[in-house]
Amino acid sequence: MSSHQASFWTKYIFSEDHKTIGKQFMWLGMFFLFFGGLLAMLIRWQLGYPEQPVPLIGQWMWPGDGGIINPDIYNQMFTMHGTIMIFWAITPLLIGAFGNFVIPLQIGAGDMAFPKLNMISFWTMFLASLVLLSSYLLPTGTAAGGWTSYPPLSSPAGGIPGLGQTIWTVALILMGASTMMGAVNYITTVVRMRAPGMEYFKMPLSIWGLFLASILNAVFVPVIAAGLVMLLLDQTIGTEFFLAGRLASGDPGDPLLFQHVFWIFGHPEVYILILPVWGIVSDLLSVFSRKPAYGYRVTALAMCTIVALSSLVWGHHMYTTGMSPLLGKSFMFLTLLISIPSAMFFLNWLGTLWKGSIHFNTPMLFAIGVIWVFGLGGLTGLYNATVTADIYLHDTMFVVGHFHYTLAASVMFGSFAAIYFWFPRMFGRKLNATLGKIHFWGSFVSLNFVFFNMMVLGYAGHHRRIYNPGEYSFLEPLAGLNEWISIFAFLLGVFQVVFLINMVWSMLKPEKAERNPWKATTLEWTMDFPIPHGNFEKVPIVFHGPHEYSRPDIQDKDWLGQNEPLS
Amino acid sequence: MSQNRIKDKSIPYLYSSTIWFKDAPKDVSLDGYRIDNVIHYTDFVISIYFALVVAALIYFIVRYRATNGHKAEYDHGNKRKNVMVTGSLGLLVFFSVDAVIEKMAFQDLREAFWNFPKTENVVRVQVLPQQFAWNFRYAGPDGEFGTNDDIVPSQNHMHVPINTPVVVQIASWDVIHSFYLPNFRIKQDATPGMITALWFQATETGIFDIACAELCGNGHYKMKGYLTVESQDDFEAWLADNAPEIYEEDDWDDWGDEEDDTGVPEDWGWTWKELK
Repeated sequence: MSSHQASFWTKYIFSEDHKTIGKQFMWLGMFFLFFGGLLAMLIRWQLGYPEQPVPLIGQWMWPGDGGIINPDIYNQMFTMHGTIMIFWAITPLLIGAFGNFVIPLQIGAGDMAFPKLNMISFWTMFLASLVLLSSYLLPTGTAAGGWTSYPPLSSPAGGIPGLGQTIWTVALILMGASTMMGAVNYITTVVRMRAPGMEYFKMPLSIWGLFLASILNAVFVPVIAAGLVMLLLDQTIGTEFFLAGRLASGDPGDPLLFQHVFWIFGHPEVYILILPVWGIVSDLLSVFSRKPAYGYRVTALAMCTIVALSSLVWGHHMYTTGMSPLLGKSFMFLTLLISIPSAMFFLNWLGTLWKGSIHFNTPMLFAIGVIWVFGLGGLTGLYNATVTADIYLHDTMFVVGHFHYTLAASVMFGSFAAIYFWFPRMFGRKLNATLGKIHFWGSFVSLNFVFFNMMVLGYAGHHRRIYNPGEYSFLEPLAGLNEWISIFAFLLGVFQVVFLINMVWSMLKPEKAERNPWKATTLEWTMDFPIPHGNFEKVPIVFHGPHEYSRPDIQDKDWLGQNEPLS
Repeated sequence: MSQNRIKDKSIPYLYSSTIWFKDAPKDVSLDGYRIDNVIHYTDFVISIYFALVVAALIYFIVRYRATNGHKAEYDHGNKRKNVMVTGSLGLLVFFSVDAVIEKMAFQDLREAFWNFPKTENVVRVQVLPQQFAWNFRYAGPDGEFGTNDDIVPSQNHMHVPINTPVVVQIASWDVIHSFYLPNFRIKQDATPGMITALWFQATETGIFDIACAELCGNGHYKMKGYLTVESQDDFEAWLADNAPEIYEEDDWDDWGDEEDDTGVPEDWGWTWKELK
């Protein structure tokens, strides 16, 4: 297989090699991460400095408004920010890039089970991206109904002008198709193509995370896809699945139906995004503590339990819709149950550090950062799970701060940890450690300031998605805090530029990384760079679990590869 | 007013107000303290747990840093003992945090938020949000909604008497809105095709903000109303001021012409939905 003949097109563009496809997903995800980040900066400008002209680009972007972001544009910005960050940045980065790159390498497979489907999955995603971005060319602008796009607002009856909302729906359906193709591929690969000896409980926890996320994708993306097709029919041919009351011309549909469909998918979705992070962090803590992951089985089983529970809690997004008291209580109870398995694997993370020998390489800094930000994000979820507290906090900036801790902060840190860790496998070079430390500390301080204070704003009553908080007397005392948050958000943006520079510079520098720079035990570090198409010269045989560090019975090194027999 | 303040700001906000620990808006309701209590209890316990996690984290990364020159312990932490420890700590978290919060929340729902007042002395209001304004409706002297003595004050102005339970039923004229009273710690979605409800009781007089908490379009941010809490006498006087003149059949045509710009006809409203 290593003698695979390839032209430029089949090698770099329509490649069926999972490693190339993983890199393609990574570039796509990075592009949208920065795009969505720029949107966040503009949103923060408007909230920190309401209705003042945007410096530098304002006059050029919106000359008609004197460089000021108007309410229509503002709504489009946060809609696209949420959509892009969740579906076009995090999903391609974690599941697309690292799912693709890492799964076959870590389980000892030559490639994905369905290489061609893998290639189609990426190009469907690429098409979805073009469709999504095309809405920027419309005179009426992009979608503006929020990333949740609740009808009737998102249907023509609801009054968002133009095609943007319809194009959003089409782009999301295409994106969902891409995700489903990826999910069946990853599941099949993990179930069928593990190397001999690679039992389920010998898989690295990264694989557990990606595998469970793929199962959730395969089960729940079809649900949202069905909902989106119904929404598309409402938007285009005049069906009324989600219209009721005055807007419905015939028998009424139900706007709440969309919310149920959306959150039946939407709540597992947050676990889809965070599960790979949990897995990767569990592994990295072990690698850089030179100590086996504490309670490996418990961590894996806790993640499985959370996957099961995640499908039963969507109603906690809908406490204020007027749901039956019985349902409200049930959803609260089921949601709170999640704290038991979460607390268990969280303690296992601390257990891994305990009596370890901790090396503070850049991937480890980000992994430790996840312990902090996910700890805060997870604990603050309690307020939103509580029916009564949520009556007050629902749809406020508290929710925004909370989910930015779990999704933005934890998932971004997890992705960065993964990029710093696997960069030598992807590009044959290590990222610069000093720039990495600047990137970590700069991001850590600024994002904590931003997201923690968003929760403070929400507790002070600041509701979400408002263009100008100055409209309300009870929000006036918050103007100073809003401005500080914006300043730290801009700083957060600046520190990401450091990362971008590091990436480009490290990729071009001449000196190569050694084969296994982190002295890790897993199979992806067993071959020379560049890893050939087909990955392994001969099928590896697995003897040990993924975390054999500091074994007392071997002398010359402190790790034992999964494929190394104990002599 | 606030617009002007923002546009010619001579003093930057950075220096004009403190930045840390903003309190919630003043609670002026009978039951708002319950929300504050459950939030403060959660603050308290999760601060303890987070502090413990951070203390352990800092201790471990200082004590067990590799530059100390020790070798890591080869321990998988998967013995029965270890699993028992993490399992019981998980349960400890559940029973000290989650179970307590749940008990508080269920009690508050039972005693207050889902316990609609059953007494006769209740003010009933129908709320119909539209893009981007609030319509309010009171039953009028006959106590029935949907009759021609209903009182419909000017948009965005709701009045209630102090120390009297107020039951609000909410529908929507167009898209989803959410009726949000920050000073009363409550909100309730308004969804087309359904009638939802909430109740509250004011304990202080004054004028308070009503906000829309669910994205409803480009005017969402300024979909603002005013809730005036006043004495029973002032409230009754206000109702009398806003009472409609009862028109003969012919005169209704004029009404229709004037109301065209809002889209909501004068005779909106629904039969009061009795709550079980």
